[in-house]
Amino acid sequence: MPSTDAKRGAPLDAATRGWCYAAAAACLLPLLLQLPHATALAIAPCALAVAALSWRRPLPWWLRALLALAVFGTVFAAHGFAFARDTGCALLAAMLALKPSETVRVRDARSLLGFALFAPFATFLLDQGPLSLALGLAGACLALVALLRLSGFEAGIERGSGDWRLFRAALGLVGVGLPLALAAFWLFPRLAAPLWGTPGMSQARPGLSDSMTPSEWVDLLSDDTPALRVQFFGATPADIQRYWRGYTFWNFDGRTWTRALWIDAMPPAPVVPSATRWEYQLELEPTDRQQVVALDLPLSAPEGTTLDGNYGLAADRPLDEPRRWRMRSAAPAAFDARMPESLRRAALQLPAGFNPRTLALARQWRAEAGDDDAAIVRRALAMFHDSFAYTLAVPLAGRNAVDEFLFDTREGYCQHFSSAFVVLMRAAGIPARVVTGYAGGTYNRIGDYWLVRRSDAHAWAEVWLPGRGWVREDPTAAVSPERVYDTLADRANAGDGPLGGIDALAPVFDVGDWMRRGWNDFVLGFDANRQRNLLRSLHVDADTDRALLLAFAAAAVLALAWMAWRVAREQRERDPVLRAWRRLEKRYARRGFGRPPQEPAVAWAQRLNGSSPEPSPLLVLTTRFAEWRYASHQRDPRRARELIRDLCAHRPLAGEP
Amino acid sequence: MPDGLRARLRRRLDSWTRPRTPETLPVAIDRRRVYVVPTGFGLFFAALLAAMGVGALNDNNNPALLLALLLSGAALASLLVAHLQLSGLRVVAAGAEPVPAGEPLSLRVHLRAADGRERRGLRVECGEATASASLADGAGEAVLELPTTQRGWLQPQRLRISTRQPLGLAFAWCLAWPQAQLLVYPRPERDAPPLPSGGGEGSRARPHVAGDEPHHLRAYRQGDPRRNIAWKPSARHGSLLVREHERREGAEIVLDWRELASLPVEARISRLARWVDEAERRNRRYRLRLPGESLGPAQGPAHRHACLRALALLPHAVD
Repeated sequence: MPSTDAKRGAPLDAATRGWCYAAAAACLLPLLLQLPHATALAIAPCALAVAALSWRRPLPWWLRALLALAVFGTVFAAHGFAFARDTGCALLAAMLALKPSETVRVRDARSLLGFALFAPFATFLLDQGPLSLALGLAGACLALVALLRLSGFEAGIERGSGDWRLFRAALGLVGVGLPLALAAFWLFPRLAAPLWGTPGMSQARPGLSDSMTPSEWVDLLSDDTPALRVQFFGATPADIQRYWRGYTFWNFDGRTWTRALWIDAMPPAPVVPSATRWEYQLELEPTDRQQVVALDLPLSAPEGTTLDGNYGLAADRPLDEPRRWRMRSAAPAAFDARMPESLRRAALQLPAGFNPRTLALARQWRAEAGDDDAAIVRRALAMFHDSFAYTLAVPLAGRNAVDEFLFDTREGYCQHFSSAFVVLMRAAGIPARVVTGYAGGTYNRIGDYWLVRRSDAHAWAEVWLPGRGWVREDPTAAVSPERVYDTLADRANAGDGPLGGIDALAPVFDVGDWMRRGWNDFVLGFDANRQRNLLRSLHVDADTDRALLLAFAAAAVLALAWMAWRVAREQRERDPVLRAWRRLEKRYARRGFGRPPQEPAVAWAQRLNGSSPEPSPLLVLTTRFAEWRYASHQRDPRRARELIRDLCAHRPLAGEP
Repeated sequence: MPDGLRARLRRRLDSWTRPRTPETLPVAIDRRRVYVVPTGFGLFFAALLAAMGVGALNDNNNPALLLALLLSGAALASLLVAHLQLSGLRVVAAGAEPVPAGEPLSLRVHLRAADGRERRGLRVECGEATASASLADGAGEAVLELPTTQRGWLQPQRLRISTRQPLGLAFAWCLAWPQAQLLVYPRPERDAPPLPSGGGEGSRARPHVAGDEPHHLRAYRQGDPRRNIAWKPSARHGSLLVREHERREGAEIVLDWRELASLPVEARISRLARWVDEAERRNRRYRLRLPGESLGPAQGPAHRHACLRALALLPHAVD
């Protein structure tokens, strides 16, 4: 098929093909880093093998078909035959790995690069961190380099060692397009809500669980990645007040605490807030949940969330990207003193036939304390404080987990303490519930914000006291307050583990986290809301998209003009003296006294001077110009400036020549 | 069909674009006559970026949006660069050595541009003929092989200067129609009869073996080689004399239009063209007699060109 061949171009030479393969590999790399390791480890050698095998001649079609079938089958099987974002990304990577097998001509290479550019895009669907972005953009730039090389090959441009200039050319193109890209990034109207559903971020980390089984949090408690960051405006709550409220659990089956959905659906109980208000901005890292945590207790639900019956906040869509809210909270001074009977029953519910020893102890305490609920609470906390220990190494509990914990092992962590405490209270007839969330956090001096890590996940208890309503009691704090209100400095002073010398490194971590926060803020968190705020801060009323579109159009026109000027500028004379000289010549040419190209400048000025005995100002100026230009010893910058000034100031006289 | 359609579209497009008449050189290509259209790959690339952009906007995925926008910016910049590859270009000269009809004519198109900007990988097309050109230090040349069919003046078609640089996303092109009169010589007859055996002045005496007898000498004529001059006899006679060589048959050949009256016009021209070449090859002096003019007798490239040019420009027979 010679005609098709002619249309598709000549076969690529080795160097050009090498560039294309390298660019495709660079685009594939960030995607491979984000795919499950098994998939990535299968695809990478496959890509290398295909590229090596098809280097001299393309693989036969049947082999390509076989390979494609095998790879697709493997990918689908590995993902359980479900088509989701993950599968799509893995398939794309696999296709890209196979594509070199049929890359022979310019057109094939172009389609290879086109598909390769989708790989960084797919990467960003999985991960939006700085490393992915850097690698992805580097891959895209390399793809541009390969495209430059390809069109050079197509046009028959010989490239010797000049390949490196292609990098400059590619970066030049990106640089020239940058203002327009940034204008579009900031001003092009964003969608306030997605047009179509988006599958959740597969890589979002697990958030707080919506049930609690003591002994199950060990993974979470050793995960030091950030969960949220908080910046306070004005008053900052003391250590003992920094409880970040998440789920509230009412139901207990002897083993697991779960939510009571009907209570969540109720309106929150009326509460009298204390005088101190905390204003803060909360930035949540992505999780696979919809639960938002807030400082105890939030006064209202910010936009995009709803307040449930336990003062928990639920977002109206999954938190699969960094989100931020402006919130207000206040510690409760008093709740509504009355409690509906249905709630009281739920708050006293215990599974029958579990933990007999605990029940017996609680009955004994009730008998001794009479009506004084607070005394029972104090007694329980004192017991924990006196004879319990905090540890993460807890053996698996048997059937009567609370009994074993309270009377045998006497060590555990927040889940055990809060669970046992609530069971004890309920058995004594005091309404109680378990609350999970985060507690503590470390202060980042550089960014003036608090960082709460996943390892700060915490469970505590709330008891209903007559006349006061729900009161937070933290049995863990009674045992080991430093585990709850810890700071990085606390851990360092404890000197445990490999992070013993962490004190000196703390500023480094602070800077690192501060930068990461900036990333979330400026790169990931920019959305329709922020866009409007941006315009509002410029005193542009951006209530409608029209203002935004107008702003974008204006910026785009400016950016395009800049692009044209920037690209065309290379045509301009670089030497400012020459530039001034040309302008002077143009002024004369407009009056019809232009210098023909073959006439030397001085001869021209002399001709215009005619037979007049006095040298005209033009002749003087031209002589100076010629001296500057051809007598190199005269080139000092001050003289050049003077010459430029005089050249620019000179105007042909009305009567000249 | 698509090819035919494409050709028709291109013709239509070309008929709208400047220039519509041949222009005197040099021709400056300004920005108003440079056109930029996306290539097939350019459209594919645009669709790719649009898909990326919409997907990124939908997810509010800022890194993905940034990627799509940066690539779009680079693509737009490449359109500008493609445009600037051509605008500011000057077609300075177009010319060709004459060739006999039927042989390809090498049209040399000389391009110039103020240097400072890279202009490489330009493509120059004229009808079916294509050539590539790169401007090193602001000047470059494209050599197009134009097919020739008949003798006479050849006015080349419009030249299309185009480029797909830098990314292959856009096709930038412009047209130039240099006013260039290219001469095509007549096609020499292939199996022509041998040269007519002399005539004119030299036909009376066969040349003899070189000697120093005066009658073997003749007067110097412009163009005789120096070594043939007989210096001693010249000194005696007071004027330059040239020794006649044995192989220089001495005779001037007369190629006479009228003597070929039996042939049709084109065949006559064709035969005369052949004889001119033949005479040149044999180092013979010849005279060409045409209706209304007579060339020579002389010999050498200049004479040959004059003769062939006269033959080429003879009016075409009206059948």
